[in-house]
Amino acid sequence: METVGFLLDGIFTSLQWFNLALLIFGCLIGLFVGAMPGLGSVNGVAILIPITFIIPPTAAIIFLAAVYYGAMYGGAISSVMLGIPGASTAVATVFDGRPLAVKGEAMTALTAAAVGSFVGGTVSVILFTLFAPPLAEVALRFNAPETFALMVMAFATFVGLGGDDVPKTIFSILIGLALSTIGLDLITGKPRLIFFNIPGFLHGINFLVLAIGIYGIGEMLWTLEETKGKVQMSKLSVNMKEVGRAFGALKKTIMAMNIGSFLGFFVGILPAAGATPASLMSYGITKQLSKNSKEFGEGVPAGVVAPECANNSASTGSMLPMLTLGIPGSPTTAILLGGMILWGLTPGPLLFTQEPEFVWGLIGSLYIANFFTLVLNIALIPAFLMVLRIPFAILAPVIFVLCVTGGYAPTQSLHDVWLMLLFGFAGYILRKLDYPVAPAVLSIVLGPLAEKALRQSLILSDGSMGIFFDVSEKPIAAVIMYIAIVLLIMPAFGPLYRRLFKKKQTA
Amino acid sequence: MSITNKITVKRAEIAVAVILALCSIALMIKSAENRITWNAEENMGAGFLPFYLSLGMLICTILTIIKFVLKRSPQSKDDSPFIDAVAFKFIAVTIISLVVLVLAIGYLGIYFSLIFFLAFYLRYFSEKSIAFITIFAITTPILTFLFFEWMLKIPLPQGVSEPLFYPVYDFMYGGFSFAVKMIFIILTVILPTVLVFLTTRFIK
Repeated sequence: METVGFLLDGIFTSLQWFNLALLIFGCLIGLFVGAMPGLGSVNGVAILIPITFIIPPTAAIIFLAAVYYGAMYGGAISSVMLGIPGASTAVATVFDGRPLAVKGEAMTALTAAAVGSFVGGTVSVILFTLFAPPLAEVALRFNAPETFALMVMAFATFVGLGGDDVPKTIFSILIGLALSTIGLDLITGKPRLIFFNIPGFLHGINFLVLAIGIYGIGEMLWTLEETKGKVQMSKLSVNMKEVGRAFGALKKTIMAMNIGSFLGFFVGILPAAGATPASLMSYGITKQLSKNSKEFGEGVPAGVVAPECANNSASTGSMLPMLTLGIPGSPTTAILLGGMILWGLTPGPLLFTQEPEFVWGLIGSLYIANFFTLVLNIALIPAFLMVLRIPFAILAPVIFVLCVTGGYAPTQSLHDVWLMLLFGFAGYILRKLDYPVAPAVLSIVLGPLAEKALRQSLILSDGSMGIFFDVSEKPIAAVIMYIAIVLLIMPAFGPLYRRLFKKKQTA
Repeated sequence: MSITNKITVKRAEIAVAVILALCSIALMIKSAENRITWNAEENMGAGFLPFYLSLGMLICTILTIIKFVLKRSPQSKDDSPFIDAVAFKFIAVTIISLVVLVLAIGYLGIYFSLIFFLAFYLRYFSEKSIAFITIFAITTPILTFLFFEWMLKIPLPQGVSEPLFYPVYDFMYGGFSFAVKMIFIILTVILPTVLVFLTTRFIK
């Protein structure tokens, strides 16, 4: 019952005029960012975070969560209309959304995507409200060893479940952690890794510099290469008859909605997974379980609903560990978590007791944002189509301006802008060679927190690493650590399993 | 054979892996400037974590190189160009213009640098008219100024152009009423647009 009271407070907080205005503005920006090919929630949040420094944290998180949310809706628009995913989270939406548009049923696809997103978003927010308080209560009992073990597990999920090349994934994690050690060592007070004695390194590398570099500059370079500055769009007729028919078609997609909502939420909670794999898995499973699975890929509404439902659900799911454990569930939440530190908050379960307005304001805003985004999405489809016609050659320099000013504003030093350019270029090259970049962003955010937790644990144990593995002493930390080890060695068994399986098949 | 054809994915993969390995070694040497040992009495030296993290990076890059030599990674068998010629032009011009932009910001200040950057970039890549490009290149820095300096109160670098902004600051923080300031803001955005529009018509 207590939860209901908090939730109502949260909803009222997000309905205050200033917060509500930011929420609607955030939804609009999110829809726009999501709809533009190449830009997703993570890019929007990374580029916009510097401008939230002047507003209160609650308003800032409501705004950024709305951007996150809106982008999940918006991604479908370009997947359907251009056949290019608006964001990686909308890749699976292309599979059936594009064929529907080619058949002349673009409106059906867009409506299915919007309604699917709404259902996924609503179910996951309810699950979130139910799970978050008890999980935060458990997490309150966590000390340094448990926190460190959790962070190791977050890194390990990238190795075990990320699906990328293992040495490259571990490299990405380690370079993020190494970058986070630059600057003054808080314990010994000694400067670390001050390259060429440039004073700019003394204040360390702000995670935003890396995040804007990779997700702003790097992503733009990537998209410029893919699109070569131009876009191609299919035709759309918007009329009420089409919308009505689209709603009629949704009756057959209830199974897809169920799979998408629940699967998306739980996949979203895992640090490495996030919305992209959630939407792909949801599409795959819905297709396998469907009676008419052969029609998938030729344009069925269920094929649009499943991934769209899942990506919204996953985006909410990924906020659960961010708020309760202080561990982000996706690259976007990693940046939000870094933002919380910049706003002067300590991410983790204490937020629930110390900053209830912040936590419940965010949760309440998700309910409201979900509703507003659905309405704005369907109402503004013609406007978004106009936006999609903007050639990339015009949009790109605007994004660059935002990146340069955003990279400069937090520390007001050109040194950071240079670093941002360097990271952007390096991130672009590495991404082309299949080095995953998300782990680096996650680890530069978690690096300082992980180092602190590690050092505190080692002081507790008089310098013994055994503290993380002793089941009788620290059972929770040990269990989490063993899970992390299993995740780390899991990829090694992949080829073995495949070999055995192949032998069985040939036998 | 053009340069873009010579740089294959295969060559890029090994070159990047070697560069990253060298960077990891450099990081290890740099970390060793601080104490890199760790024992119960003295706890962790300031260089301990960065040293072992970069050692881990080095091991990862060596594994990548081994996978390359054994032809176990998809990149090691890929002879297609790393980037095609058209995309290369886009990327190269973008990167060079960004570097020039940041260099110019240090000297000329951000607002004037942005005008040149936007004008060049749009002229080079888009097929828009000169009028459109001029309006776009002038209004974007004005909006950036209003947003950062006026709304957020965050000063952006102005370099040698700083004295030009003194009258604007005097106006911003002077005793003018809100309405006068709003009219000024609207005019600063609309005036250049109208001016450019009129001049281009006149030139035609």
